[in-house]
Amino acid sequence: MKLTRSVFWLLPIAALALPLLVNPYHQYVVNLILVYVVVGVGFNIVVGNLGQLAFSNVAFFGIGAYASAIFTTQLGIPWWLTVIPAGVVGAIAGCAASIPALRGVRLFYLAIMTLAFGELMRWSYIRTPALTGGSMGLTVPPAELFGWVLESETQKFYVFLVIVVVIVVAVSRILESRIGRAFLSIKNDERAAAAMAVPTGRYFVLAFALSGFVVGIGGSMYAALVGHLSPEAFDLVQLILHFAIIMVGGLGSLVGSILGAVLITATPELFRDWPGFEELMFGIVIVIVILFLPRGLASLLARVHPIFKDRYLRED
Amino acid sequence: MALLEITGASVQFGGLTAVNEVSFQAEPGEVRALIGPNGAGKTSLFKAIAGEEPLSAGTIRFQGAPIHDLTPHEISARGVRRTFQNGGLFGELTALENILAGLHTRIPSSFGGLLLGTRAAKTAEKNGTRKARALLEMMGIPHVADQWARDLSGGQQRMVEIVRALATDPPLLLLDEPAVGLAPPARAELMKIIRRLVEEENIAVILIEHAIEFVMTVCDTLMVLNNGELIAEGPPEEVRRNREVLEAYLGR
Amino acid sequence: MLSLLPQLLVSGIAIGMLYALIALSMTILYRATTVVNFGHGDLVMAGAYMVLIFMVNVTLPFLPALLLSLAALFGFGYLLHRAFIWPIINGPHLGLAMMAIAIGYAVRGLVRLEYGSEMAKMPRPFEEQFFFAFNTVMTLDEITFCVVVVVMLVVSYLVFSRTRFGRIVQAMFQTQRGASLVGINVRLFNNLIWGVGCALGALGGVMLGLILVLDPDAGVWTLLRGFAAMTLGGFGSLHGAVIGGLIIGVLEKVLGTYVSTAFIDITCYLVIIVVLLVRPRGLFGQHATLRI
Repeated sequence: MKLTRSVFWLLPIAALALPLLVNPYHQYVVNLILVYVVVGVGFNIVVGNLGQLAFSNVAFFGIGAYASAIFTTQLGIPWWLTVIPAGVVGAIAGCAASIPALRGVRLFYLAIMTLAFGELMRWSYIRTPALTGGSMGLTVPPAELFGWVLESETQKFYVFLVIVVVIVVAVSRILESRIGRAFLSIKNDERAAAAMAVPTGRYFVLAFALSGFVVGIGGSMYAALVGHLSPEAFDLVQLILHFAIIMVGGLGSLVGSILGAVLITATPELFRDWPGFEELMFGIVIVIVILFLPRGLASLLARVHPIFKDRYLRED
Repeated sequence: MALLEITGASVQFGGLTAVNEVSFQAEPGEVRALIGPNGAGKTSLFKAIAGEEPLSAGTIRFQGAPIHDLTPHEISARGVRRTFQNGGLFGELTALENILAGLHTRIPSSFGGLLLGTRAAKTAEKNGTRKARALLEMMGIPHVADQWARDLSGGQQRMVEIVRALATDPPLLLLDEPAVGLAPPARAELMKIIRRLVEEENIAVILIEHAIEFVMTVCDTLMVLNNGELIAEGPPEEVRRNREVLEAYLGR
Repeated sequence: MLSLLPQLLVSGIAIGMLYALIALSMTILYRATTVVNFGHGDLVMAGAYMVLIFMVNVTLPFLPALLLSLAALFGFGYLLHRAFIWPIINGPHLGLAMMAIAIGYAVRGLVRLEYGSEMAKMPRPFEEQFFFAFNTVMTLDEITFCVVVVVMLVVSYLVFSRTRFGRIVQAMFQTQRGASLVGINVRLFNNLIWGVGCALGALGGVMLGLILVLDPDAGVWTLLRGFAAMTLGGFGSLHGAVIGGLIIGVLEKVLGTYVSTAFIDITCYLVIIVVLLVRPRGLFGQHATLRI
């Protein structure tokens, strides 16, 4: 029997049994991994597929998290109903972040600009205490649905697992289509992409919006998981975490985003007592990956079996 | 009404005039070659036709409609396709995926349809793939389909690029130095393909080329550009005897 | 209110001098190797930390500590280029940018590992003094900034225009390939340029150490001000970086006083965003955007 990508469905099915095996703290780390799978998948769209050096991801993550928290605390909307709106707010931020790209700002100009955008957002979380609780942070009440309260880590796990599966399936469908090829053609040669009648500007907006939407949902999950948002959670240590996930996993690879999230997310939890260690370690890990494994761990897996390839053309 | 109609087209960079009031028409079923010394404005004229450089004066009409104010992707969508002087292929895509990228506008799968995995979207994608394979087959290079474009040889890359440009059956094809870097047998093969396209598919081809013997045999009309001006236009043999051309270009 | 203006100009120019120096050091790296060093802010702050280490842990006086710190950063910049930038210099820009970022993070992590999140203060080489003239007050720190930076500018101008090294550097700014054709060891020169760029940045860092409490995260603060100066002046323009730095320094003070204190923090972000949207080439730069 030929092995196809449908075997990947075994992963979430096997994961259903996971809560039986782990204690609540480990369950929390597993949940955090699921959050970062979503973040990595979203980030990789802009960096790995569209090939743009954008630092706006932490901004999308923070905007999604705060959107969810503010809708919950200020408007009294249950968390469930804020997940999609948080994604939409993230997508709007994504559209905003694509404006400079539409004006022709590329490469490190775009990087600098999005870096400034991210820092400006973090500054605004601190300076708008009425909404965000300022530097004191904002406590997110537990989600409730018809009297069922989403409180235990196990409950969160099942909810997150569903979200992750939906997002991974949706994003893989987009990336393996003509839309994904349009992103990659822009990454490879923008002029040639336009000469193939690819409306490059529109795909810039689409990629940033899609990325913002997915990462915004990641932010919303993060808000529900940690229960308390503070501005320093969205600083540059967060950014290196996002970069480490996609670089180690593999740029432009959905498998890589997931793999990177699994490997990278857990490590800061191990080194909690040594502040600075994660920055040092991620820095070194990224340097090693760039020098010796530029396409990340996913490229190693792809040599093992074609189902791990970045793209998988369907034809019969 | 000619297929492509260029009237008084000028391109300027700052104070420098790269193309100066060039006018010509291209008809279906002919190969036009554009030659001239380095810096004569050949590439600038190409870029102007493809919408990559704005005109400072004049008009460019394609199938009767003005195109000089359109963006490159709009012009490409109307059926003006081009290849690039060096490496216009998407190196990280396979040859097949490169052709699929060329078919971008011909694959009618929508964002929503793809997201929901509708039958229509899946069929559209599959049909695209099938068509791309068929195109590679037709050009005699089906074996390169699943190789990375960056790993192909120079000649194979040129072929894939031409197939990619032709994927949507464009009425006008612009080739920027197609023969450069090709071995003589590959050049002969390329020449046969260009002639076949023009004669069987009735498309128009405009090409920039330095390899003069290649140009002489492949084209129906030769155009000579010097200092941004079109100094000669006509059948290759006739232009060859033109004194002004000899002085300006051949330096004899 | 308007009577404050001369004072604001004076202190704005003084702090702007530091931004100018940092932007200049980044511009030199960029001009030589077309790499934008996203880790530069952390290397700048490393300069101040080195002085702190040499003075407190090794108990050296200020001047030797300063010289050792600059030498250390020169060596670091040299090795950084040789070991990590040069091997991938022809690769994609993304890799180069990520490399610089990753190294910046590693340096910051090292600093944080040693000092934690607690703030450290670089020992002062001299007592702070105040000078009054024409209704404005200037601190000795500010005078130091102006003198040191002006001296550095004059020196680097002379080096660039009058020495063989300078002429080679200028040739390299034009074309690396051409330089290698006429027999210049491009790699060695770029190593040296990175060394010089990092040492110059570190000098800026040491001066910042006079007025700032050292904190690992100050690297980003520095980086963004350097970027703002470069963006405003026009990427790759040496005098643009200097003028940009001075304008940012003055803008921070003036907007911070007359409009809202928030502008002390966000002026540099806004300058970056507005300049890149409205006039991406800045005041003196080459065209920076793609026509799409």
